[in-house]
Amino acid sequence: MSVKKLSAKAFNKWVDVCVQEHCVYGVQAKNDRFAFGPLARGVDLRLDYDVTILPPKKYLQPPSEALLKFNKEAEYESITEVEPFVIFGIHPYDIVAISQMDKVFSADNGDIHYMKRREQATLVAVDVQNASDNVFAGSMGTAVVDEGFDILLTRLKDSYLIDIRTEKGEALMKHTKKAEDATEADLKLRQQVQEDNKALLNKHELLTAPQELPALLNQSLDHPVWKEKAELCYSCGSCNLVCPTCYCFDVEDDVDWSLDEGVRRRKWDGCMLAEFAAVAGGHNFRRHREDRYRHRYYRKGRYIHERYGDIACVGCGRCITACTANIANPVEIYNRLREDH
Amino acid sequence: MSKPKVAFFDFACCEGCQLQVYNLEEDILNLLELVEPVEWREAMSDKAEKYDIAFIEGSITRPGDEESLKDIRERSTMLIALGACATIGGVNKLKNNFDLAEVKQCVYSESAGMGHLETSATKSVGEVVKVDYHIHGCPIDKQEFAYIVRCLALGKTPVIPNHPVCVECKMKENICRFEYGEICLGPVTRAGCGAKCPSNGMWCFGCRGYVDNPNVNAAREVMDQYGKTIADLQGKLKLFGSKQEATDEMA
Repeated sequence: MSVKKLSAKAFNKWVDVCVQEHCVYGVQAKNDRFAFGPLARGVDLRLDYDVTILPPKKYLQPPSEALLKFNKEAEYESITEVEPFVIFGIHPYDIVAISQMDKVFSADNGDIHYMKRREQATLVAVDVQNASDNVFAGSMGTAVVDEGFDILLTRLKDSYLIDIRTEKGEALMKHTKKAEDATEADLKLRQQVQEDNKALLNKHELLTAPQELPALLNQSLDHPVWKEKAELCYSCGSCNLVCPTCYCFDVEDDVDWSLDEGVRRRKWDGCMLAEFAAVAGGHNFRRHREDRYRHRYYRKGRYIHERYGDIACVGCGRCITACTANIANPVEIYNRLREDH
Repeated sequence: MSKPKVAFFDFACCEGCQLQVYNLEEDILNLLELVEPVEWREAMSDKAEKYDIAFIEGSITRPGDEESLKDIRERSTMLIALGACATIGGVNKLKNNFDLAEVKQCVYSESAGMGHLETSATKSVGEVVKVDYHIHGCPIDKQEFAYIVRCLALGKTPVIPNHPVCVECKMKENICRFEYGEICLGPVTRAGCGAKCPSNGMWCFGCRGYVDNPNVNAAREVMDQYGKTIADLQGKLKLFGSKQEATDEMA
Protein backbone atom coordinates (compact mmCIF):
# COMPACT_ATOMS: atom_id res chain seq x y z
CA MET A 1 0.00 0.00 0.00
CA SER A 2 2.27 2.84 1.18
CA VAL A 3 5.07 3.78 3.54
CA LYS A 4 4.46 6.89 5.66
CA LYS A 5 6.54 8.78 8.16
CA LEU A 6 5.63 10.43 11.48
CA SER A 7 7.84 12.48 13.77
CA ALA A 8 8.34 10.90 17.21
CA LYS A 9 5.98 13.49 18.73
CA ALA A 10 3.25 13.00 16.13
CA PHE A 11 3.71 9.23 16.52
CA ASN A 12 2.89 9.41 20.24
CA LYS A 13 -0.21 11.49 19.51
CA TRP A 14 -1.29 8.96 16.91
CA VAL A 15 -0.95 6.13 19.44
CA ASP A 16 -2.96 8.21 21.95
CA VAL A 17 -5.83 8.47 19.49
CA CYS A 18 -5.55 4.76 18.62
CA VAL A 19 -5.95 3.74 22.26
CA GLN A 20 -9.04 5.93 22.58
CA GLU A 21 -10.64 4.50 19.46
CA HIS A 22 -9.68 0.83 19.79
CA CYS A 23 -8.90 -1.89 22.29
CA VAL A 24 -5.10 -1.76 22.12
CA TYR A 25 -2.54 -4.10 23.69
CA GLY A 26 1.00 -2.75 23.64
CA VAL A 27 4.42 -3.54 25.03
CA GLN A 28 5.08 -1.95 28.42
CA ALA A 29 7.67 -2.26 31.17
CA LYS A 30 7.03 -4.93 33.80
CA ASN A 31 9.61 -4.27 36.51
CA ASP A 32 12.89 -4.66 34.63
CA ARG A 33 11.32 -6.77 31.88
CA PHE A 34 8.63 -6.20 29.24
CA ALA A 35 5.15 -7.55 28.62
CA PHE A 36 2.19 -6.95 26.32
CA GLY A 37 -0.74 -5.47 28.23
CA PRO A 38 -3.76 -3.20 27.78
CA LEU A 39 -2.39 0.16 26.67
CA ALA A 40 -3.86 3.33 28.16
CA ARG A 41 -1.48 6.01 26.84
CA GLY A 42 1.02 6.35 24.02
CA VAL A 43 3.72 7.35 26.47
CA ASP A 44 3.57 3.90 28.14
CA LEU A 45 4.36 2.09 24.90
CA ARG A 46 7.95 0.78 24.97
CA LEU A 47 8.89 0.04 21.39
CA ASP A 48 12.53 0.00 22.48
CA TYR A 49 11.91 -3.29 24.34
CA ASP A 50 14.23 -6.26 23.84
CA VAL A 51 11.78 -9.15 24.27
CA THR A 52 8.49 -9.71 26.11
CA ILE A 53 8.14 -12.39 28.80
CA LEU A 54 5.26 -14.03 26.89
CA PRO A 55 4.74 -13.71 23.15
CA PRO A 56 1.63 -11.93 21.80
CA LYS A 57 0.18 -15.41 21.19
CA LYS A 58 -1.63 -14.91 24.52
CA TYR A 59 -4.20 -12.72 22.72
CA LEU A 60 -4.82 -15.23 19.95
CA GLN A 61 -4.73 -18.37 22.09
CA PRO A 62 -5.29 -17.22 25.70
CA PRO A 63 -3.77 -19.31 28.54
CA SER A 64 -7.29 -20.30 29.56
CA GLU A 65 -10.18 -19.93 27.15
CA ALA A 66 -13.87 -20.89 27.32
CA LEU A 67 -14.75 -22.94 24.24
CA LEU A 68 -18.39 -23.77 24.76
CA LYS A 69 -21.31 -24.00 27.17
CA PHE A 70 -23.08 -27.31 27.59
CA ASN A 71 -25.98 -28.75 29.55
CA LYS A 72 -26.96 -32.20 30.73
CA GLU A 73 -29.27 -32.68 27.74
CA ALA A 74 -26.00 -32.72 25.74
CA GLU A 75 -26.81 -29.42 24.05
CA TYR A 76 -23.92 -27.04 23.50
CA GLU A 77 -23.14 -23.60 22.16
CA SER A 78 -19.69 -22.43 21.06
CA ILE A 79 -18.30 -19.29 22.64
CA THR A 80 -16.60 -17.17 19.98
CA GLU A 81 -17.50 -13.57 20.74
CA VAL A 82 -14.42 -11.39 20.48
CA GLU A 83 -14.26 -7.61 20.02
CA PRO A 84 -11.76 -6.18 17.52
CA PHE A 85 -8.35 -5.40 19.02
CA VAL A 86 -4.93 -4.11 18.06
CA ILE A 87 -1.57 -5.57 19.18
CA PHE A 88 1.03 -2.84 19.07
CA GLY A 89 4.74 -3.51 18.80
CA ILE A 90 5.24 -7.12 17.66
CA HIS A 91 8.81 -8.05 16.79
CA PRO A 92 9.44 -9.74 13.42
CA TYR A 93 10.18 -13.18 14.93
CA ASP A 94 6.80 -13.10 16.70
CA ILE A 95 5.08 -12.11 13.44
CA VAL A 96 6.65 -15.19 11.81
CA ALA A 97 5.36 -17.28 14.74
CA ILE A 98 1.82 -15.91 14.31
CA SER A 99 1.95 -16.75 10.59
CA GLN A 100 2.83 -20.33 11.59
CA MET A 101 -0.03 -20.45 14.09
CA ASP A 102 -2.36 -19.25 11.33
CA LYS A 103 -1.36 -22.30 9.27
CA VAL A 104 -1.75 -24.69 12.18
CA PHE A 105 -5.12 -23.44 13.37
CA SER A 106 -6.63 -23.09 9.88
CA ALA A 107 -5.56 -26.58 8.77
CA ASP A 108 -8.14 -29.36 8.39
CA ASN A 109 -11.43 -28.25 9.92
CA GLY A 110 -9.91 -25.05 11.30
CA ASP A 111 -10.16 -23.83 14.86
CA ILE A 112 -13.02 -21.31 15.08
CA HIS A 113 -11.82 -19.89 18.40
CA TYR A 114 -8.35 -19.01 17.14
CA MET A 115 -9.57 -17.93 13.70
CA LYS A 116 -12.18 -15.58 15.18
CA ARG A 117 -9.57 -13.88 17.35
CA ARG A 118 -7.14 -13.71 14.48
CA GLU A 119 -9.79 -12.13 12.26
CA GLN A 120 -10.45 -9.45 14.88
CA ALA A 121 -6.76 -8.67 15.43
CA THR A 122 -4.78 -5.86 13.83
CA LEU A 123 -1.06 -6.62 14.04
CA VAL A 124 1.33 -3.69 14.31
CA ALA A 125 4.88 -4.99 13.95
CA VAL A 126 8.03 -3.08 14.83
CA ASP A 127 11.63 -3.62 13.79
CA VAL A 128 13.76 -4.49 16.82
CA GLN A 129 15.60 -1.58 18.47
CA ASN A 130 17.42 -3.52 21.20
CA ALA A 131 18.48 -7.15 21.00
CA SER A 132 17.71 -9.37 23.99
CA ASP A 133 20.44 -11.48 25.60
CA ASN A 134 19.27 -14.75 24.08
CA VAL A 135 17.78 -13.86 20.72
CA PHE A 136 18.98 -15.85 17.69
CA ALA A 137 16.44 -14.71 15.11
CA GLY A 138 19.39 -13.89 12.82
CA SER A 139 20.15 -17.61 12.61
CA MET A 140 16.52 -18.54 11.95
CA GLY A 141 15.90 -15.98 9.20
CA THR A 142 13.31 -14.17 11.32
CA ALA A 143 15.13 -10.99 12.32
CA VAL A 144 13.12 -9.04 9.75
CA VAL A 145 9.77 -9.69 8.06
CA ASP A 146 8.08 -8.57 4.91
CA GLU A 147 4.62 -10.10 5.42
CA GLY A 148 2.20 -11.29 8.07
CA PHE A 149 1.44 -7.87 9.61
CA ASP A 150 -0.98 -5.02 8.99
CA ILE A 151 1.57 -2.31 9.75
CA LEU A 152 5.34 -2.42 10.20
CA LEU A 153 6.99 0.34 12.20
CA THR A 154 10.68 1.17 11.98
CA ARG A 155 12.34 3.66 14.27
CA LEU A 156 14.64 6.09 12.49
CA LYS A 157 16.50 8.84 14.33
CA ASP A 158 13.61 11.16 15.33
CA SER A 159 10.77 9.52 13.53
CA TYR A 160 8.93 6.30 12.72
CA LEU A 161 8.40 4.82 9.28
CA ILE A 162 4.97 3.26 8.99
CA ASP A 163 4.63 0.59 6.33
CA ILE A 164 0.91 0.00 5.76
CA ARG A 165 -0.01 -3.28 4.10
CA THR A 166 -3.71 -3.89 4.69
CA GLU A 167 -7.08 -2.20 5.10
CA LYS A 168 -6.88 -2.83 8.84
CA GLY A 169 -3.61 -0.91 8.78
CA GLU A 170 -5.19 1.91 6.74
CA ALA A 171 -7.99 2.14 9.32
CA LEU A 172 -5.46 2.87 12.08
CA MET A 173 -3.75 5.50 9.95
CA LYS A 174 -7.01 7.47 9.80
CA HIS A 175 -6.17 8.62 13.34
CA THR A 176 -3.39 10.95 12.18
CA LYS A 177 -3.24 13.72 9.61
CA LYS A 178 0.47 14.35 10.07
CA ALA A 179 1.81 11.42 8.10
CA GLU A 180 4.05 12.26 5.15
CA ASP A 181 5.21 9.90 2.44
CA ALA A 182 8.52 8.25 3.24
CA THR A 183 11.36 9.37 0.95
CA GLU A 184 13.87 7.22 -0.89
CA ALA A 185 16.44 8.25 1.71
CA ASP A 186 14.12 7.09 4.55
CA LEU A 187 13.66 3.72 2.91
CA LYS A 188 17.42 3.35 2.57
CA LEU A 189 17.81 4.06 6.29
CA ARG A 190 15.20 1.41 7.03
CA GLN A 191 17.02 -1.08 4.87
CA GLN A 192 20.16 -0.38 6.87
CA VAL A 193 18.30 -0.94 10.19
CA GLN A 194 17.00 -4.26 8.90
CA GLU A 195 20.37 -5.38 7.57
CA ASP A 196 21.97 -4.50 10.91
CA ASN A 197 19.29 -6.40 12.79
CA LYS A 198 20.05 -9.62 10.92
CA ALA A 199 23.53 -9.48 12.45
CA LEU A 200 22.57 -8.01 15.85
CA LEU A 201 19.79 -10.46 16.66
CA ASN A 202 22.13 -13.40 16.77
CA LYS A 203 23.42 -13.88 20.31
CA HIS A 204 23.66 -17.62 19.74
CA GLU A 205 24.83 -18.76 16.34
CA LEU A 206 23.22 -21.81 14.82
CA LEU A 207 25.82 -23.65 12.73
CA THR A 208 23.22 -25.49 10.67
CA ALA A 209 20.93 -23.81 8.13
CA PRO A 210 17.38 -24.08 9.56
CA GLN A 211 16.14 -26.11 6.58
CA GLU A 212 18.86 -28.72 7.32
CA LEU A 213 17.54 -29.33 10.87
CA PRO A 214 15.08 -32.11 9.94
CA ALA A 215 17.88 -34.14 8.34
CA LEU A 216 20.20 -33.50 11.29
CA LEU A 217 17.54 -34.66 13.75
CA ASN A 218 16.83 -37.71 11.63
CA GLN A 219 20.31 -38.96 12.43
CA SER A 220 20.24 -38.08 16.13
CA LEU A 221 17.58 -40.20 17.82
CA ASP A 222 20.10 -41.98 20.04
CA HIS A 223 22.42 -39.08 20.77
CA PRO A 224 23.58 -38.99 24.44
CA VAL A 225 22.65 -35.30 24.77
CA TRP A 226 18.97 -36.15 25.34
CA LYS A 227 19.60 -38.17 28.47
CA GLU A 228 22.36 -35.92 29.71
CA LYS A 229 20.25 -32.76 29.60
CA ALA A 230 17.02 -34.45 30.66
CA GLU A 231 18.60 -35.41 33.97
CA LEU A 232 18.42 -31.73 34.87
CA CYS A 233 14.90 -31.20 33.51
CA TYR A 234 12.20 -30.26 36.04
CA SER A 235 9.45 -31.11 33.52
CA CYS A 236 8.02 -27.72 34.42
CA GLY A 237 7.02 -26.83 30.87
CA SER A 238 8.43 -23.30 31.08
CA CYS A 239 10.13 -23.68 27.68
CA ASN A 240 6.78 -24.69 26.15
CA LEU A 241 4.70 -22.03 27.83
CA VAL A 242 6.81 -19.04 26.75
CA CYS A 243 7.23 -20.35 23.18
CA PRO A 244 5.46 -18.38 20.42
CA THR A 245 5.00 -21.53 18.30
CA CYS A 246 3.82 -23.94 21.02
CA TYR A 247 0.07 -24.29 20.70
CA CYS A 248 -0.86 -27.49 22.57
CA PHE A 249 -3.75 -27.33 24.98
CA ASP A 250 -5.68 -29.49 27.41
CA VAL A 251 -9.47 -29.45 27.63
CA GLU A 252 -11.39 -29.45 30.92
CA ASP A 253 -15.05 -29.30 31.82
CA ASP A 254 -16.48 -27.66 34.92
CA VAL A 255 -20.13 -27.64 35.91
CA ASP A 256 -21.91 -24.95 37.92
CA TRP A 257 -23.54 -25.66 41.29
CA SER A 258 -26.76 -26.88 39.64
CA LEU A 259 -24.71 -29.72 38.07
CA ASP A 260 -26.95 -29.19 35.02
CA GLU A 261 -24.84 -26.73 33.06
CA GLY A 262 -21.16 -26.21 32.53
CA VAL A 263 -18.35 -24.67 30.54
CA ARG A 264 -15.64 -26.42 28.58
CA ARG A 265 -12.28 -24.63 28.63
CA ARG A 266 -8.91 -25.18 27.13
CA LYS A 267 -5.69 -24.35 28.90
CA TRP A 268 -2.13 -24.20 27.65
CA ASP A 269 -0.40 -27.55 27.93
CA GLY A 270 3.22 -28.49 27.26
CA CYS A 271 4.92 -31.62 25.96
CA MET A 272 7.51 -31.42 28.75
CA LEU A 273 4.87 -31.95 31.46
CA ALA A 274 4.77 -35.44 32.97
CA GLU A 275 1.18 -36.23 32.00
CA PHE A 276 1.12 -34.59 28.58
CA ALA A 277 1.13 -37.88 26.69
CA ALA A 278 -1.01 -39.81 29.18
CA VAL A 279 -4.13 -41.28 27.60
CA ALA A 280 -7.33 -42.92 28.79
CA GLY A 281 -6.52 -46.15 30.58
CA GLY A 282 -3.42 -44.65 32.14
CA HIS A 283 -0.76 -45.35 29.51
CA ASN A 284 1.79 -42.58 29.05
CA PHE A 285 3.57 -42.52 25.71
CA ARG A 286 6.41 -40.35 27.00
CA ARG A 287 6.71 -41.31 30.61
CA HIS A 288 10.45 -40.59 30.86
CA ARG A 289 11.89 -37.07 31.05
CA GLU A 290 14.37 -38.01 28.37
CA ASP A 291 11.64 -38.89 25.87
CA ARG A 292 9.82 -35.65 26.54
CA TYR A 293 13.01 -33.61 26.39
CA ARG A 294 13.94 -35.02 22.99
CA HIS A 295 10.40 -34.70 21.70
CA ARG A 296 10.45 -30.91 22.03
CA TYR A 297 13.45 -30.60 19.70
CA TYR A 298 11.97 -33.03 17.22
CA ARG A 299 8.67 -31.22 17.28
CA LYS A 300 10.35 -27.87 16.60
CA GLY A 301 12.92 -29.09 14.10
CA ARG A 302 11.28 -31.95 12.28
CA TYR A 303 7.62 -32.86 12.88
CA ILE A 304 6.13 -29.41 12.20
CA HIS A 305 8.38 -29.13 9.17
CA GLU A 306 7.06 -32.43 7.83
CA ARG A 307 3.49 -31.29 8.26
CA TYR A 308 3.55 -27.57 7.48
CA GLY A 309 6.95 -26.92 5.90
CA ASP A 310 8.11 -24.59 8.69
CA ILE A 311 10.82 -24.92 11.32
CA ALA A 312 8.83 -24.27 14.50
CA CYS A 313 11.49 -22.14 16.14
CA VAL A 314 11.71 -18.43 15.40
CA GLY A 315 14.80 -17.72 17.51
CA CYS A 316 13.14 -15.46 20.10
CA GLY A 317 15.28 -17.07 22.84
CA ARG A 318 12.48 -17.01 25.44
CA CYS A 319 12.94 -20.70 26.28
CA ILE A 320 16.62 -20.09 27.03
CA THR A 321 15.73 -17.33 29.50
CA ALA A 322 12.77 -19.18 31.05
CA CYS A 323 14.59 -22.44 31.79
CA THR A 324 15.69 -22.45 35.43
CA ALA A 325 17.99 -25.42 34.88
CA ASN A 326 19.56 -23.78 31.81
CA ILE A 327 19.11 -26.74 29.47
CA ALA A 328 16.64 -25.36 26.91
CA ASN A 329 18.93 -23.59 24.44
CA PRO A 330 18.03 -24.99 20.99
CA VAL A 331 21.19 -23.57 19.41
CA GLU A 332 23.42 -25.35 21.92
CA ILE A 333 21.64 -28.64 21.29
CA TYR A 334 21.50 -28.40 17.49
CA ASN A 335 25.16 -27.31 17.32
CA ARG A 336 26.17 -30.24 19.48
CA LEU A 337 24.27 -32.68 17.25
CA ARG A 338 26.02 -31.17 14.24
CA GLU A 339 29.48 -31.43 15.80
CA ASP A 340 28.94 -35.14 16.39
CA HIS A 341 27.91 -35.90 12.83
CA MET B 1 -30.73 -39.36 44.78
CA SER B 2 -30.15 -38.41 48.40
CA LYS B 3 -27.42 -35.94 49.20
CA PRO B 4 -24.07 -37.37 50.28
CA LYS B 5 -23.61 -37.15 54.05
CA VAL B 6 -20.41 -35.31 54.80
CA ALA B 7 -18.37 -34.73 57.95
CA PHE B 8 -15.43 -32.48 58.76
CA PHE B 9 -12.79 -33.47 61.31
CA ASP B 10 -9.76 -31.56 62.50
CA PHE B 11 -6.54 -32.89 64.00
CA ALA B 12 -3.33 -30.86 64.51
CA CYS B 13 -3.93 -27.70 62.48
CA CYS B 14 -5.11 -24.11 62.65
CA GLU B 15 -8.55 -25.00 61.20
CA GLY B 16 -7.90 -22.39 58.54
CA CYS B 17 -8.81 -24.80 55.76
CA GLN B 18 -12.30 -25.30 57.20
CA LEU B 19 -12.46 -21.54 57.44
CA GLN B 20 -11.89 -21.42 53.68
CA VAL B 21 -15.01 -23.55 53.30
CA TYR B 22 -17.07 -21.03 55.31
CA ASN B 23 -15.41 -18.34 53.21
CA LEU B 24 -17.36 -19.67 50.23
CA GLU B 25 -19.95 -17.24 51.66
CA GLU B 26 -23.09 -17.21 49.44
CA ASP B 27 -21.81 -20.31 47.65
CA ILE B 28 -22.02 -22.21 50.92
CA LEU B 29 -25.78 -22.37 50.31
CA ASN B 30 -25.07 -23.98 46.94
CA LEU B 31 -22.73 -26.40 48.69
CA LEU B 32 -25.52 -27.34 51.12
CA GLU B 33 -27.80 -28.06 48.15
CA LEU B 34 -25.32 -30.74 47.08
CA VAL B 35 -24.23 -32.28 50.37
CA GLU B 36 -25.65 -32.78 53.84
CA PRO B 37 -23.24 -32.07 56.69
CA VAL B 38 -23.85 -34.56 59.50
CA GLU B 39 -20.84 -33.83 61.70
CA TRP B 40 -18.81 -30.62 61.66
CA ARG B 41 -17.52 -29.52 65.06
CA GLU B 42 -16.72 -26.01 63.93
CA ALA B 43 -20.20 -25.43 62.52
CA MET B 44 -22.71 -27.69 64.33
CA SER B 45 -23.14 -29.94 67.39
CA ASP B 46 -24.72 -33.02 65.70
CA LYS B 47 -22.85 -36.29 65.34
CA ALA B 48 -23.38 -39.28 63.05
CA GLU B 49 -22.33 -42.93 62.72
CA LYS B 50 -21.65 -43.20 58.95
CA TYR B 51 -20.32 -40.73 56.42
CA ASP B 52 -20.33 -40.77 52.64
CA ILE B 53 -17.44 -38.31 52.61
CA ALA B 54 -15.16 -37.46 55.54
CA PHE B 55 -12.95 -34.40 55.16
CA ILE B 56 -9.90 -34.61 57.40
CA GLU B 57 -8.03 -31.46 58.27
CA GLY B 58 -4.76 -31.50 60.22
CA SER B 59 -1.84 -33.82 60.72
CA ILE B 60 -1.61 -36.77 63.08
CA THR B 61 0.67 -36.02 66.02
CA ARG B 62 -0.58 -38.18 68.91
CA PRO B 63 -1.01 -41.96 69.21
CA GLY B 64 -4.67 -41.47 70.18
CA ASP B 65 -5.29 -39.46 67.01
CA GLU B 66 -4.24 -42.42 64.89
CA GLU B 67 -6.96 -44.52 66.50
CA SER B 68 -9.60 -41.79 66.02
CA LEU B 69 -8.62 -41.42 62.36
CA LYS B 70 -8.76 -45.18 61.72
CA ASP B 71 -12.21 -45.22 63.32
CA ILE B 72 -13.40 -42.39 61.02
CA ARG B 73 -11.96 -44.22 58.02
CA GLU B 74 -13.92 -47.35 58.91
CA ARG B 75 -17.14 -45.40 59.09
CA SER B 76 -16.55 -43.44 55.84
CA THR B 77 -17.12 -44.44 52.23
CA MET B 78 -14.71 -41.78 50.96
CA LEU B 79 -12.01 -39.94 52.88
CA ILE B 80 -10.45 -36.69 51.71
CA ALA B 81 -7.36 -35.00 53.15
CA LEU B 82 -8.04 -31.27 53.44
CA GLY B 83 -5.09 -28.89 53.36
CA ALA B 84 -1.32 -29.18 53.74
CA CYS B 85 -1.29 -30.53 57.33
CA ALA B 86 -3.47 -33.41 56.22
CA THR B 87 -2.01 -34.01 52.74
CA ILE B 88 1.73 -33.79 53.50
CA GLY B 89 1.98 -33.24 57.25
CA GLY B 90 2.53 -29.53 56.68
CA VAL B 91 4.49 -27.27 58.99
CA ASN B 92 3.84 -29.71 61.83
CA LYS B 93 6.46 -32.00 60.30
CA LEU B 94 9.17 -29.50 61.21
CA LYS B 95 9.07 -31.29 64.55
CA ASN B 96 10.33 -34.49 62.96
CA ASN B 97 13.70 -32.85 62.28
CA PHE B 98 14.46 -32.91 66.03
CA ASP B 99 14.53 -35.29 68.94
CA LEU B 100 10.96 -35.59 70.27
CA ALA B 101 11.91 -35.07 73.94
CA GLU B 102 13.89 -31.98 73.01
CA VAL B 103 10.91 -30.58 71.06
CA LYS B 104 8.58 -31.11 74.02
CA GLN B 105 11.03 -29.50 76.38
CA CYS B 106 11.43 -26.50 74.09
CA VAL B 107 7.68 -25.95 73.67
CA TYR B 108 6.30 -26.89 77.10
CA SER B 109 9.26 -26.33 79.40
CA GLU B 110 8.59 -27.73 82.89
CA SER B 111 5.12 -28.97 81.88
CA ALA B 112 6.62 -31.22 79.21
CA GLY B 113 6.07 -34.34 81.29
CA MET B 114 2.30 -33.90 81.70
CA GLY B 115 0.21 -36.77 80.33
CA HIS B 116 -2.06 -34.78 78.01
CA LEU B 117 0.99 -33.38 76.19
CA GLU B 118 1.95 -36.83 74.92
CA THR B 119 3.14 -36.50 71.31
CA SER B 120 4.57 -38.63 68.53
CA ALA B 121 6.25 -38.00 65.21
CA THR B 122 3.97 -36.05 62.84
CA LYS B 123 2.25 -38.01 60.08
CA SER B 124 0.13 -36.93 57.16
CA VAL B 125 -3.33 -38.48 56.98
CA GLY B 126 -2.17 -40.74 54.16
CA GLU B 127 0.54 -42.21 56.38
CA VAL B 128 -2.17 -43.56 58.71
CA VAL B 129 -5.17 -44.43 56.53
CA LYS B 130 -6.08 -44.72 52.86
CA VAL B 131 -6.88 -41.32 51.34
CA ASP B 132 -9.17 -41.12 48.31
CA TYR B 133 -8.43 -37.52 47.31
CA HIS B 134 -6.06 -34.79 48.42
CA ILE B 135 -7.14 -31.14 48.48
CA HIS B 136 -3.79 -29.39 48.66
CA GLY B 137 -2.55 -26.07 49.96
CA CYS B 138 -1.99 -23.94 53.04
CA PRO B 139 -4.73 -22.94 53.15
CA ILE B 140 -6.78 -24.81 50.55
CA ASP B 141 -8.12 -22.85 47.60
CA LYS B 142 -11.87 -22.58 48.22
CA GLN B 143 -12.65 -22.62 44.48
CA GLU B 144 -10.67 -25.83 44.06
CA PHE B 145 -12.55 -27.30 47.03
CA ALA B 146 -15.85 -26.31 45.40
CA TYR B 147 -14.76 -27.79 42.06
CA ILE B 148 -13.76 -31.09 43.69
CA VAL B 149 -17.06 -31.33 45.59
CA ARG B 150 -19.02 -30.71 42.37
CA CYS B 151 -17.01 -33.38 40.55
CA LEU B 152 -17.66 -35.89 43.33
CA ALA B 153 -21.37 -35.03 43.39
CA LEU B 154 -21.43 -35.82 39.66
CA GLY B 155 -19.49 -39.03 40.19
CA LYS B 156 -16.61 -37.65 38.14
CA THR B 157 -12.89 -37.82 38.99
CA PRO B 158 -11.59 -34.30 39.69
CA VAL B 159 -8.45 -33.19 37.87
CA ILE B 160 -5.81 -32.33 40.46
CA PRO B 161 -2.69 -30.99 38.74
CA ASN B 162 0.48 -33.05 38.69
CA HIS B 163 2.71 -30.42 37.12
CA PRO B 164 4.87 -27.74 38.79
CA VAL B 165 3.74 -24.28 39.84
CA CYS B 166 5.93 -22.88 37.01
CA VAL B 167 3.09 -23.67 34.61
CA GLU B 168 0.68 -21.28 36.33
CA CYS B 169 3.45 -18.77 36.99
CA LYS B 170 4.29 -18.60 33.28
CA MET B 171 0.60 -18.23 32.40
CA LYS B 172 0.50 -15.22 34.73
CA GLU B 173 3.59 -13.81 32.98
CA ASN B 174 5.47 -13.48 36.25
CA ILE B 175 9.19 -12.89 36.22
CA CYS B 176 10.89 -16.01 37.58
CA ARG B 177 11.98 -15.58 41.22
CA PHE B 178 15.32 -17.20 40.34
CA GLU B 179 16.00 -14.15 38.16
CA TYR B 180 15.82 -12.09 41.35
CA GLY B 181 18.37 -14.36 43.00
CA GLU B 182 15.79 -16.15 45.15
CA ILE B 183 15.24 -19.87 45.58
CA CYS B 184 11.69 -20.70 44.56
CA LEU B 185 10.18 -24.15 45.14
CA GLY B 186 7.84 -23.74 42.14
CA PRO B 187 9.75 -26.18 39.89
CA VAL B 188 9.16 -29.13 42.24
CA THR B 189 5.82 -28.10 43.79
CA ARG B 190 2.38 -29.22 42.63
CA ALA B 191 0.38 -26.50 40.85
CA GLY B 192 -3.28 -25.68 41.38
CA CYS B 193 -2.90 -22.56 43.50
CA GLY B 194 -2.68 -20.23 40.50
CA ALA B 195 0.92 -19.38 41.53
CA LYS B 196 -0.42 -17.08 44.24
CA CYS B 197 2.86 -16.45 46.07
CA PRO B 198 5.09 -15.74 43.04
CA SER B 199 2.33 -13.54 41.61
CA ASN B 200 2.46 -11.48 44.78
CA GLY B 201 6.19 -11.02 45.00
CA MET B 202 7.20 -14.08 47.07
CA TRP B 203 8.86 -17.35 46.13
CA CYS B 204 6.83 -20.57 46.23
CA PHE B 205 6.90 -22.11 49.72
CA GLY B 206 5.88 -25.54 48.47
CA CYS B 207 2.64 -25.80 50.50
CA ARG B 208 0.94 -28.08 47.98
CA GLY B 209 3.69 -30.64 48.31
CA TYR B 210 5.85 -32.11 45.60
CA VAL B 211 4.65 -33.19 42.17
CA ASP B 212 4.52 -36.99 41.90
CA ASN B 213 8.01 -37.19 40.44
CA PRO B 214 9.99 -34.10 41.54
CA ASN B 215 13.44 -33.74 40.01
CA VAL B 216 15.20 -33.15 43.30
CA ASN B 217 18.58 -33.81 41.69
CA ALA B 218 18.00 -30.97 39.25
CA ALA B 219 17.07 -28.71 42.17
CA ARG B 220 20.40 -29.61 43.74
CA GLU B 221 22.40 -29.06 40.56
CA VAL B 222 20.93 -25.67 39.70
CA MET B 223 21.85 -24.18 43.07
CA ASP B 224 25.40 -23.76 41.80
CA GLN B 225 24.25 -21.83 38.74
CA TYR B 226 22.53 -19.31 40.98
CA GLY B 227 25.32 -19.00 43.49
CA LYS B 228 23.35 -20.89 46.14
CA THR B 229 24.16 -23.94 48.21
CA ILE B 230 22.30 -27.18 48.93
CA ALA B 231 21.92 -25.89 52.49
CA ASP B 232 20.09 -22.81 51.16
CA LEU B 233 17.72 -25.12 49.29
CA GLN B 234 17.21 -27.39 52.29
CA GLY B 235 16.37 -24.37 54.41
CA LYS B 236 13.57 -23.47 52.02
CA LEU B 237 12.33 -27.07 51.75
CA LYS B 238 12.02 -27.56 55.51
CA LEU B 239 8.91 -25.46 56.09
CA PHE B 240 6.51 -27.64 54.10
CA GLY B 241 8.83 -30.29 52.72
CA SER B 242 10.18 -31.87 55.89
CA LYS B 243 10.16 -35.66 55.82
CA GLN B 244 7.98 -35.96 52.79
CA GLU B 245 7.95 -39.31 51.10
CA ALA B 246 10.59 -39.79 48.34
CA THR B 247 12.44 -36.65 49.28
CA ASP B 248 13.38 -37.29 52.90
CA GLU B 249 17.06 -36.95 52.12
CA MET B 250 16.58 -33.32 51.15
CA ALA B 251 15.12 -31.91 54.32
